[in-house]
Amino acid sequence: MASVSLRNLHKRYDSGFHAVRGISLEIPDGEFLVLVGPSGCGKSTTLRMLAGLEEVTEGDVRIGDRVVNDVAPGDRDIAMVFQNYALYPHLTVRDNMAFGLRMRGTPRPEIDRRVQAAAESLSIEGLLARRPRELSGGQRQRVALGRAIVREPAVFLFDEPLSNLDAKLRVQMRAELARLHRRLRTTVVYVTHDQVEAMTLGDRIVLMNHGVIQQADAPLAIYRRPANRFVAAFIGSPTMNFFPGRIEAGAFAVAGTEVRVPLDGEATGLPAGPAVLGIRPEDLVLAGEAAAVATVPVDVVEQTGHETFAHFMLAGDDHVVRLSGDVGARPGDRLPLAVRPGGIHLFAADEAGQRLG
Amino acid sequence: MAALLARASVLTALLVVGFGCSGGDSRTTITIWHQSRPNEREFLADEIARFENQNPGVRVRPLYKETEELRSGFQAAALTGAGPELVYGPSDVLDTFHTMGLIQDLGRWLPPDERADFVAGSLTSLPARDDPAREELVQIGDRFGNHLALVYNRRLLPSPPETTDELIRLALEQTVDQDGDGRIDRYGLVWNYTEPFFAIPFITGFGGWVFQEGESRSSVPESRSPKPALDTPAMREALGFIRDLREVHGVSPANCDYELADSLFKSGRAAMIVNGDWSWSDYLAEPELDAAVAVLPVVSSTGQPMRPMIAPKGYSLNVNAAGPAADAAMAFVRHMTAADTQRRLVERLRMLPVRRSIQADPLFQSDPTLAASQRQLENGRLMPVVTELRAIWDGMRPGYQAVLGGSLTPAAAAGRMQADAEGFIATMHRRIEPSPAATWLPAVAGLGLLGLLVWQLPACARLLADLRANPTAYLFAFPAVAMIFAVIVFPFVWNIVLSLSDMSLTRFRDWRIVGFQNYAEVLTDPRLWGLSGVFLKTILWTVVNVTLHVAIGVMLAVTLNGPVRGKSIYRLLLIIPWAVPAYITALTWRGMFDYEYGAINLVLGRWLGLAPVNWLGEPLRAFEACVITNVWLGFPFMMVIALGGLQGIPQELYEAARIDRAGRWQQFWHITLPLLKPVLLPAATLGAIWTFNNLNVIWLVSNGGEPQDSTHILVSYVYKSVFNLYRYGYGAALSMVMFLILLGASLALLRRGKATENVYG
Amino acid sequence: MKEPIRITLLRHAVLLVFVAVAIYPVLNVVSISLRPGDRLRSTDLAVIPTDWTLASYVKLFTEQPFLRWLGNSLVVSAGVTLTGVTLASTAGYAFSRFHFVGRKATMLAILTTQMFPATMLLLPLYVLIAALGLIDTWLGLMVFYTATALPFCVWQMKGFYDTISPSLEEAARIDGCSRFQAFWHVVLPLATPGLVITALFSFMTAWSEYIVAAQVMQDERMFTLPLGIKGFQATLSSQWGLYAAASILVSLPVVVVFLALSRYLVNGLTVGSVKE
Repeated sequence: MASVSLRNLHKRYDSGFHAVRGISLEIPDGEFLVLVGPSGCGKSTTLRMLAGLEEVTEGDVRIGDRVVNDVAPGDRDIAMVFQNYALYPHLTVRDNMAFGLRMRGTPRPEIDRRVQAAAESLSIEGLLARRPRELSGGQRQRVALGRAIVREPAVFLFDEPLSNLDAKLRVQMRAELARLHRRLRTTVVYVTHDQVEAMTLGDRIVLMNHGVIQQADAPLAIYRRPANRFVAAFIGSPTMNFFPGRIEAGAFAVAGTEVRVPLDGEATGLPAGPAVLGIRPEDLVLAGEAAAVATVPVDVVEQTGHETFAHFMLAGDDHVVRLSGDVGARPGDRLPLAVRPGGIHLFAADEAGQRLG
Repeated sequence: MAALLARASVLTALLVVGFGCSGGDSRTTITIWHQSRPNEREFLADEIARFENQNPGVRVRPLYKETEELRSGFQAAALTGAGPELVYGPSDVLDTFHTMGLIQDLGRWLPPDERADFVAGSLTSLPARDDPAREELVQIGDRFGNHLALVYNRRLLPSPPETTDELIRLALEQTVDQDGDGRIDRYGLVWNYTEPFFAIPFITGFGGWVFQEGESRSSVPESRSPKPALDTPAMREALGFIRDLREVHGVSPANCDYELADSLFKSGRAAMIVNGDWSWSDYLAEPELDAAVAVLPVVSSTGQPMRPMIAPKGYSLNVNAAGPAADAAMAFVRHMTAADTQRRLVERLRMLPVRRSIQADPLFQSDPTLAASQRQLENGRLMPVVTELRAIWDGMRPGYQAVLGGSLTPAAAAGRMQADAEGFIATMHRRIEPSPAATWLPAVAGLGLLGLLVWQLPACARLLADLRANPTAYLFAFPAVAMIFAVIVFPFVWNIVLSLSDMSLTRFRDWRIVGFQNYAEVLTDPRLWGLSGVFLKTILWTVVNVTLHVAIGVMLAVTLNGPVRGKSIYRLLLIIPWAVPAYITALTWRGMFDYEYGAINLVLGRWLGLAPVNWLGEPLRAFEACVITNVWLGFPFMMVIALGGLQGIPQELYEAARIDRAGRWQQFWHITLPLLKPVLLPAATLGAIWTFNNLNVIWLVSNGGEPQDSTHILVSYVYKSVFNLYRYGYGAALSMVMFLILLGASLALLRRGKATENVYG
Repeated sequence: MKEPIRITLLRHAVLLVFVAVAIYPVLNVVSISLRPGDRLRSTDLAVIPTDWTLASYVKLFTEQPFLRWLGNSLVVSAGVTLTGVTLASTAGYAFSRFHFVGRKATMLAILTTQMFPATMLLLPLYVLIAALGLIDTWLGLMVFYTATALPFCVWQMKGFYDTISPSLEEAARIDGCSRFQAFWHVVLPLATPGLVITALFSFMTAWSEYIVAAQVMQDERMFTLPLGIKGFQATLSSQWGLYAAASILVSLPVVVVFLALSRYLVNGLTVGSVKE
C-alpha cells in the first residue's frame, strides 16, 4: 500500500498536442480517487503516465516515496484494469490471473493460493479452466478484476472498467468495486467519464478538463460548491440551469426578462455586475403565486414515475425543473417557481466562469 | 564500371560472411557447361573418367545447363571474369559469344595441319573482332548433326515415302478414325508445327533458304550482317504446302507442338514424325514401336530433296581461361575429338563424328539408322553461325504461326517474316551514340545525390535523436530491413546505370553511358503504349488475376470457415496448386489447353456440347489460357491468407449482426470484408506486383508469347528483348519504367487503403 | 450453431468443384510420372495410363542423387524459414507498434524491392554473389531467398499485429513484462496465424526457386531439388517421367509442412480477447 503523488505533470505528444498541463495531486494511502471529465480531458493520459504506459514529458510521478518516472510499469507495484479488459486470449482464466505473479517469479503454491482466493472472492472459481472467449462480458470483467487483485499491488488503476457493461451489470459491479475497496483499503485511481460512478465510488473526485484540474474534492463538496461553471455543469443530472444576467442590489436580474432572483447567504455581499446564475433542477420548487420568483410555461414533460422533469424556456434557453412524481404538469401549464434556500450558485460571466462568493 | 560498383556494394553489403568451396584438391579443376541430353551425359561422364585417369592432375567438372540458361549464365559469368573454362553446345550461339568477346581463339591449340582430318563445318571460325581479315577458331566440334529426318513406325508403314506426293498419300492412308467416334485416332504425319526450325526442310525443298545466298556450306558468311531472304516464292510455296497438310489433307493434328508430336508418335498414334537426331534413340528404344529413320523425301514439284539444317556441337574456351586451366581444358577437348573417342561416340550414341577417318567405319554400312543419318547430313545445309539467325527465327515465328492459324495467307506471311526479321536485325545492331546528356549526367547525378542529402539532413538528425530515444524499434526493424536491402541495392543501382548505357550485342563488355535514349525509345514504342499494346494488356492481366485470386481465395476461406465436415481434407486439397511446383503444372495446363486432346476442350465438348476452342492458336484465347492458369496457381495462397485473417474476427460481431437481422451477404460485406482488409491488403498489393512481373506463366503456357508474340505482358516483353535481341540497355530502361509504374500505382493504392496505419491508431 | 441444410450443401458443392479444379492438373502430373517413355501429352483423360509403371520413381532414387538434393533443399528451406520468421516477426512488430522516424518510408521501400522484374536482376546479382564469394554456398542462397521472402512476410506480420489490441501488451507490461517479454509471451502467441503464413511463404520461396539457384550453385553436389529437377528438362528431349515424378515428390514436404501448420492457421485466438 502506498500513497501516490503527481507533481506538476505534463504530457506533450510529438504531434504537439498538450494533453496534460501541469497536474499536481496528493493521493493518500487507501484513498479511492476518481478522475473524471469529458473524453479528451487528459484523465486517461494521466492514469497511463501513472501506470508507466506513457512517458512523462515534465513533472514527477511518485508512488510511495520514490519517483517512478523511469521505472518500468511492471516494477511500479501497480495493477490496472482496462476498459476492454485486455485478457490474454491464449491463456485460461487461471493463467491470466497467474501471469503477473509468474512474471515476478512468485512460487507456484503461493500463486495457486492467491488465484484461488481472488477467484472465490469474485465468485469465478468455476471459470478458472476456461478461455476468455468462452466468457460473458460480466465474467470477463470479473476476471480482469481478479487479475488485478491477485497481484496485491500498492495501487489499483482502473481505466473506465465498467463502460462496456450493460446498465444493470454496471450498477452491480459498481457496488462490488465499492465493497472490494472497503475490504482491501488499497489506494485506487479510477478513471471514468460517468459522473454517477464518480459520485458513488470516490472518496474524492478530481474533475479535469483540457488537461487541467478543475476541482478536487469530496463528491458532495463538489456537488454543493462547484468551483466553476464547467464543474457545475458536469456534476449533477439533469445538468444545472444557467441564467446569464446581472447582480443588482441583493438580487439577480436574469437577462432578457423581468425575472429577479433574490440572493441569500454568502451571495448577498457580492458587488453589482454581470454574472451567471446557476440553479440545479432539484433546487427549483413549486411555490404559491405570491412567493414565486417567476411563473414559466411548461414546454416538455418527462416522467420517470417517482419524479417529473418539466422543461421550460426562459430568455430563449431550455431549463429543467425537477418535481415530485405526483405533480401532474402538462405542456402548456404555467408553473410558479421559487428557489430553495442555499440553491443559488453564482459564477463569473467570463470564459472561465469561476464561482463567485 | 561493373567491378567498381561490385566493390562498392561489397563494402555496403552487411553480410561479409562466406566461404569458398575449392579446398583439399590439388588438381587443376576445369568446369564444363554443357547442354547434353541425358544419354549423352552418361557418355560424357565416362569419357571424363577416362580422361582423368590419363591425366591425374586434372579434374573435370561437368555441369548441365539448359540452352537459354547456358547462354545467359555464361554471358553473366564471363562478364564478371569468371565462368566455366569450357562451354559445350551447338554452334548457333558462337557468333554472339564471339561478338561479345567472351570466347577466345583456339587456333594455337589446333594447328592447321591437324585440322585436315576434321569434317568440313565441324570447326567453326569467325573473323577476328579487331581484324575482319583474320579468322579465329571459336569452336572445335566433337560431333555433327542436330539434323531433322523422317522417323516412321514400321508396324504401320513398311517403307518410307521417297517424295512428298508419296508422303501425302501414305499419310492420308494412315490418318484414321478407328472407332468411328468422329475423332481421329491416328495421324499420318506429325512434327513440331509451331517452330520454324522444323519448317526449314520444306523451305529448302522448294528451293529457298533463310538468308540471301552467297555463303557456301563450308564457310561462314562473308558479310558480317547477312540479309534475310524470307519473302521468296519458295517460302510461299513451303508455307502453303505445310498449311495444306493440315487444312486440305488433314494428316496432322491442329496446333501440334513438339511435345504433342512426340507423345503421339511414341504412343503409336502417328505413323511418321519429323524430328532430330536427338530424339531417334528414344524412338528406337520404345517397345511399342518399330521405328526407323529415313531421309526426308524429295519435294515432288521441284524435284529437290528436303534439306534440314545441320550444325556441329563442340567446345569453346572462355576468354577468362588462362594458364594451366586453359591447357587442361584444351587437352580435354583433344581427348573428346581424338579418333578412338570419336569411334566410341559413334558406337554408343550413334552420332556422327567429326573425324573423316571414322566415317569409313563399317558401322556406317551395317547400322541403318547411322546410314540414314549420314545420308541426311550429307544433303543438309550448315547452320549459319551468325547472331542474326536468332532474328530469323524470331522474325519467322509470328508469320509462320499466323499461316497455321489461318489468319494470314502464305504470301502475306512471307512478307511479314521478311519485315520482322529485318526489323530485328536492325534493332540488334542498333548503335546508340552518346548524347550530350552523357557528359553531364554523372555530374548532375552526383549533385542530385548531394542535394538530396542536404535536403534530408534534418530528417537524418531526427533519426539520430529517435535512434537514441527509441532503440527497441530500430533493433526490431533493422535486421530484416538490412537483409532486404543488402540484396537489392547493388542490382538496383546497376540497373539504373545500365538503363543509361548502350550495353548491347556489339557493346557487351565495353558499354558506355549514353544518356536517355533508351528511355526515349521505351516511351515512344507504339507496341508498348498503343490501345492494344503490351502495357494495357499487362494492366488487364494484373487486374483480372488479382481480382480473381482474392475473390476465389476469400470465397473459399469463408466457405471453409463454417461448419463443414472434412474441413481439413478440403483445405489440404485446395492448397495443392500452390504446393506443386509451377514449372511443371504450367506445362500440364498447356497440355490441357490442347485443341484436340486437351482436357478442357474434351470436357467442353463431351459434357457441355460446346465447340472446341483453339486455346493456344488464337491470340486472345491464348491470353485467356495464361490467365486461367495463373488464377489456378494463385488462389490457394490468397485462401490461406484469408483463412488466417478470418481467425482474427470476433465472433460477437456476427452475433450482433444477426440480432440486427443482417443476412449472410450483409454480414460478409459489412463485417468479414472490412476486417479482412488489414491482412488482405498487403497480400493483394504484393500479389498485384508479383502478377505484374510474373514471367513464368506467360512463358510456359503460351511458349514465350505465342501465337505471334500476342500474349506478352511487359515483363515477358523485356525478357524477350534482352535475351533474344541482346538489348540490355533498353531492357534496363523498360524495367525502370515498369518499376516506376508499379511504384506510382502502389503509392496511390496504399494511400487510399492506409495500409501503413494501425487500425488501433 | 446449426446451419440450414441448403447452406451446408452449397458449401460442399463449392468446395468439391474447386477441389476438382485444383487437383486435376496435378493428377495429370501424376499421370505423366507413371507413363513409360517420357510422354508429356496423352490423348485421353485417364489419370492412370494403361501401361503405367513406377520406373521413374525407382530411377529417381537409384540413378539420381534425389535424396541428396532433398537434403540440400531441406537445409536451405529450413534456414530460410527460420530466419524469415524471426526477422519478419520482429520487424513487423516494430512497424506495427512503434512510430519511429522513417517508418512509412521504410515500409514503402521494402515494398518497392518487389517491383523490379527479377529477370533483370540476375546479371547484377551474379556479379554480387561472385564478388562476395558466395558461389556454391548455401549461405548465398539463404540470404537471397530470405531477402526475397521478407518483404511480404514483414507486411503480413505487420497486418496481423495491427489486429491485436495494444492494451494486451500494456496489461502484460503492468503484469511485469519488459517490452520484449510482452512481445514474446503475449503478442507472438496471438499472431500465430500470421507466423504460420510467414513460415509457409518463406518455406515455399526457398523450396521452389531455381533461377537464382542455377546462378549460385555450380557444384552438382550442392544442388537443391528444383535445380536437380530442372536438369531433367532439356531442349526438345526432356525426361518427363523423372521430371513429373520428382515434382510430385517435391510437393510432398510442402503438404506435410502445411498439414503440421494448418492447425494453428484456423484456431482463432484473438477472438474474445478484448472488447472494443
